[in-house]
Amino acid sequence: MTKSLIAEKKFFKEAQLLSPVAQYAKKRGFRLQLAEVPFYEYRIDLYGFSKSENATVAIELKLRDWGRALEQAMLYQLCSDFVYIAMPEDAANRVEIAQLEKEGVGLIAVQNTGECQCILSAQLHQEVRSFYRGHQIEYLRENARA
Amino acid sequence: MPDAKVFVRMGSHSEKEYVEKTACKFDGTMLGANLVEATPGASASFLFNCKNPYILDPMTYAFGAYVDPSTDTVRYDLDWIKSEQKIRGSNGKTKRDFKSSYTKLAAAFGPPFSTAIKRGSAVTAADFGTNADVENVCRTVLDYQMARVQRELDSDPETHPFARDAKPPAFLLAPYFYVEPHNSKSWVELNSRLAAASMNLKAHVPVHLVVCCHRGLLSEDSLRVAVLEYVKASRADGVWLWISRFDEHMATATELGNLRTLVSEIADSSPVYNMHGGFYSLALSKFGMSGIAHGIGYGEQKDVVPIIGQSTPTVQYYVRPLHAKFSVAEITRCFSTLGIKDASSFHAKICDCVICKGVIKNNLDAFAQFGEIHYSTPSSKRPAQTPAAAKRCRFHFLLNRAVERDAVNHSDIANIRKGLDDAFESWKYTVLGRNQLGFLKTWSDSLS
Repeated sequence: MTKSLIAEKKFFKEAQLLSPVAQYAKKRGFRLQLAEVPFYEYRIDLYGFSKSENATVAIELKLRDWGRALEQAMLYQLCSDFVYIAMPEDAANRVEIAQLEKEGVGLIAVQNTGECQCILSAQLHQEVRSFYRGHQIEYLRENARA
Repeated sequence: MPDAKVFVRMGSHSEKEYVEKTACKFDGTMLGANLVEATPGASASFLFNCKNPYILDPMTYAFGAYVDPSTDTVRYDLDWIKSEQKIRGSNGKTKRDFKSSYTKLAAAFGPPFSTAIKRGSAVTAADFGTNADVENVCRTVLDYQMARVQRELDSDPETHPFARDAKPPAFLLAPYFYVEPHNSKSWVELNSRLAAASMNLKAHVPVHLVVCCHRGLLSEDSLRVAVLEYVKASRADGVWLWISRFDEHMATATELGNLRTLVSEIADSSPVYNMHGGFYSLALSKFGMSGIAHGIGYGEQKDVVPIIGQSTPTVQYYVRPLHAKFSVAEITRCFSTLGIKDASSFHAKICDCVICKGVIKNNLDAFAQFGEIHYSTPSSKRPAQTPAAAKRCRFHFLLNRAVERDAVNHSDIANIRKGLDDAFESWKYTVLGRNQLGFLKTWSDSLS
């Protein structure tokens, strides 16, 4: 109980998840990255590109509502090879993993220390459309620095 | 049962192109009197040339009390018809004052509207003392609608020769006020008096009533009974329902069922319309609804008081099989589940209107053009939909609305329900089916 209170106190804004998650993605090779990348009327919390793997990742940050996060993550599959939801560890433990697994969406738990742990790996999926993916990478190249 | 009609409401002259190009598909055009007062010459010219019957909404409710959407309290200060206005010669200083369109409208209507503007507080039931006062107000408001276009054409030497050829509106709207939830009884009584007096004037063209009420009309029996009583007694030539903040897609089964009951009951004595309605209201034509009105993109529900300070909303893409609008990303994400792999399967399963055929041609990726975004100015912080994308969405919606109306008019209720059930089955495994399509089931059940 005490641990849960600490976690919820630590992360009271989604933006607080950004820095640890961005570091984590960078370590995984997604060195070219940008926060708040527009995709239609949505804004992808973190979008990254790995030149060596020629792969893109979109990460949706959420404090609690994983159902809503999954809906958004599914949309981001249109423009990204891998899509993750990142949540504080306590919230991540309450996610119905099977639902994410079914859609190929991954899950990252952010611990109080700022360490990130991959609970579920995102899967390569069939939804990505090269048209959108290409546009997003182009936007990233124009607006982000590795 | 009547064939459903669709009236398109023009909110500003920037929407003129939509109305003109789709006029032949709709049954009439509606304009607010505030727009006419803001742009009298352009409005008169537009209505003179309008091929469709037109209706002028006198907007009398704007001078009444309203509920502030941010605090949920009743306000009498008429603030929502004010705006920040530059003070001449004051180096850019502004003051909050009444919009000139409403000031002119109040002047045209006379007391108690002009009095309300002068004193800076809303019209109340107490402003209508005797029945003669009520009759005078009704006469002025009806005469205004009857003669406004002709008067404007008459005042300009260039259009003066044509003024006598100006058509009157297809029907007139009796003055009306919003029945706000804190004082329902007194507003119902005032609307009742205005309705009776307007009908007694025996105008040369039909006179319709507007029942402009809070959502409680669909849940409070006593309110529904009180409204029904005066509406039926008035023997009006038509009755328009405007239920503030009522959205067919978000409504409960109880509200939808009660709307159906209300429509059936009114239809026994007068044709009944929904002033801001969508497909569900069209389907209610099988239970007596004579038609709907809505804006260009889309206005299928409207709060009496608009929420100030919101950014311009994206015009989403209307999915006719679902009778609802969704983002381009959401719809694109459904393609794989629906088996849409190319333009022809898109046209077969989603839309084959001329706009979609023109945009998509042989490239399914071109569907993205309905959601194109850009930074409208160099200093814009957030991207917004391009005007071209919004235009595509609006024309596509209007064409689809006409198709929906015709389909409803040629279907029986069993077929309409089957269409709703089939759409739910086809789309339930898509991303939209996760929690956005429940209304299809609710509609279908409410129409059984």
